[in-house]
Amino acid sequence: MPTPIAMPKLGMTMSEGAVLEWPIAVGARVEKGQTVVVIESEKAQFEVEATTSGFLRHVYVAPDPDSQVACGTVLGAITESLDEPFDAESFRRANDRQERKEAIPAQKSLSAVVASAPRLHVGRVPVAPAARALGKKLGVDPERVPGSGPGGRVTKEDVEAWAVKRERLVQVAPGIALEVPTEGDGDPVILLPGFGTDVSAFAAPARALAKRYRVRAVNPRGVGLSDAPEQERYDVAELAADAAALIDAPTHVVGASLGAAIAIELALTQVEKVRTLTLITPFVEADARLLAVLDAWCRVAAEASADTSAATLLPWLFSTGFLIDEAARRRAARGLASIVRRIPAAVLRRYFEGVRTWSSTRRSDLERIQVPTLVLVAAADLLAPGGESVAQAIPGATCAVMTGAGHALALEAPEAVTDAILAHLR
Amino acid sequence: MARTLSTAAAINEALRIAMHSDPDVILLGEDVAGGGTRDQEGTDEIGGIIGVTRGLVKEFPGRVLDTPISEMGLLGTAVGAALTGLRPVAELMFIDFIGVCLDPLLNQAAKLRYMFGGKARVPLTVRTLTGAGMQAAAQHSQSLYWIPAGIPGLKTVIPSNAADAKGLLLASIRDDSPVVFCEPKRILFDQAEVPEHDYEIPLGKAAVVRQGSDVSLVAFGATVKTALMAAEQLAAEGVSAEVLDLRSLQPLDEEAILATLEKTGKLVVVDEATPRCGIASDVAALCVDRGFDFLNAPVKKVTAPHTPVPFSGVLEQAYMPSPERVLAAVREMS
Repeated sequence: MPTPIAMPKLGMTMSEGAVLEWPIAVGARVEKGQTVVVIESEKAQFEVEATTSGFLRHVYVAPDPDSQVACGTVLGAITESLDEPFDAESFRRANDRQERKEAIPAQKSLSAVVASAPRLHVGRVPVAPAARALGKKLGVDPERVPGSGPGGRVTKEDVEAWAVKRERLVQVAPGIALEVPTEGDGDPVILLPGFGTDVSAFAAPARALAKRYRVRAVNPRGVGLSDAPEQERYDVAELAADAAALIDAPTHVVGASLGAAIAIELALTQVEKVRTLTLITPFVEADARLLAVLDAWCRVAAEASADTSAATLLPWLFSTGFLIDEAARRRAARGLASIVRRIPAAVLRRYFEGVRTWSSTRRSDLERIQVPTLVLVAAADLLAPGGESVAQAIPGATCAVMTGAGHALALEAPEAVTDAILAHLR
Repeated sequence: MARTLSTAAAINEALRIAMHSDPDVILLGEDVAGGGTRDQEGTDEIGGIIGVTRGLVKEFPGRVLDTPISEMGLLGTAVGAALTGLRPVAELMFIDFIGVCLDPLLNQAAKLRYMFGGKARVPLTVRTLTGAGMQAAAQHSQSLYWIPAGIPGLKTVIPSNAADAKGLLLASIRDDSPVVFCEPKRILFDQAEVPEHDYEIPLGKAAVVRQGSDVSLVAFGATVKTALMAAEQLAAEGVSAEVLDLRSLQPLDEEAILATLEKTGKLVVVDEATPRCGIASDVAALCVDRGFDFLNAPVKKVTAPHTPVPFSGVLEQAYMPSPERVLAAVREMS
């Protein structure tokens, strides 16, 4: 086995030295303890002894008093015999221990020890102490603020940004202001998202509609930046009144799921404010499955992480054909998780109670709806399968059935939904 | 152009100034005059293991005393000398040897002024080498400054550069309390501009050595270099890091730590010592206690691992906090 001869480190302050002489020739016999190389450092010469007996097989650094090499540099190699295999270059690479002047890059294992992240109690929003303190000062509940830090931690900056955005909210009732992102110019359109979702569910249609209309998407109570009054339930009638307060001229009203229920309520109670009605996967009778899923949604949101909630909800909201596409499924799960993260479980429960008390009270009233109505039905809708019967009950309503789509129609088939709405409004 | 000196030379200059300005200042320690290599006339002095006191024995005959290799005897003598009115500067070659002479420091120097109701004082300075980075192995490379820093009655000071070393050492020598003055090996040969005049840097005052707004890097001694290198790299990534040099570990400048935390909301403390019961933990605890509402992220400690200092150069480099590990800590919290 070859043995390296290296530039020794003779004192704390020595970092380099020069090779002065190799007293024995390459290939010659060397005994343990015999001087094999003479080096110089800090004006002192030092004889380096062989640590083993054998043959001086290779010399890497030729004598040169003016050439300094770092401590640890391999200077030569001793082998037991002259005929054993020896690859000079790979031996040098394996044995060179040159002293480094500056810190070497962090060792992976050390960083990994430092990086072991704490696990948070599930369902709890991580809030930085500075964000909590600022929230108290500004009257903002930091747990409702979407967090931008690692693991969704709410930072001070997040609370600041939230407070700034809140100044732009629209007052709809005493003590209740809603977040209503508005885009475009033209005849007014209002978009009402469904249970447990926010305006982001309408991102695609809103963009397209804004080219021709003044589009107002509504984050209802407790969603996004909108106020979340503490009540036992959010009645559909109240939610419709909130929307009505935003309307000052006859408006195209578009609602999805619970948003469609609010749209129906608007069309029945605020006739003069509704110009057309677009109902996406609507229901007027929440069946046992819909109520069971909404109940589970509230519970999962309270007790599990946003990612787990999204994964649990996904199969109820999207069709098999959609879920089979791995990339689309992951994208939808991420989007859903980010929505779930921003809506407190307590708010969901209030909506659930609102749905429960509203449904089954309005089917007979549908025939009173006078405005042009489009009903978009998803053929593979597990949650609101009665969309076609809603269309049949509304005089003159057009019904479009989207084959192979699930309940979250605006998310699953945004282009088809956008085209249908544009055609209906024209 | 201003004059530059190595930290070792700046310490030498501070000692010379102190001895000129006050005849009560004496130096004592193993080899501070020259030890075994000194000839009869005292002309071949080496001035300690690093040569920090070189030349002083000639300039101040009778005031630079070589002691036997007995830290207990050396520190005992120094405490006694201080009690009788001298202002001794004792050299404990490596802080690793503090265990040998802890009693004179812990139970005598630190307590006497208190126990005699202020009627006695111990104006002693103990200079000592600290830290890793020179392959001096496990018994000569430790960062044990947390031991004196944890003893009431002692002050503990640690400079990060030559100019601070001079001003802090002069303040330490002239302080009426016993001061342990740490000399990080890794900065001893660093050059910096050092004013020529006699000046003091107050003990217990930290210094912001780089202004920043996004994250605070709290460092001291040799880790200030590490933090500054990390801050430079962070700047290239668009992150503005403030670097606070503590300079004194006891008294600790709590207000300066809280001020930088309030400014940035994020704090990494970089300490070359082992992670338990140390300065880094103290700083982190302060942030959580008095700075809780400023915290916009968890406080991160970048320290050595809880092991002896390895001799292997490769392992020793991995052992010490590196700029890369500071960067990793910052990335983790943003």
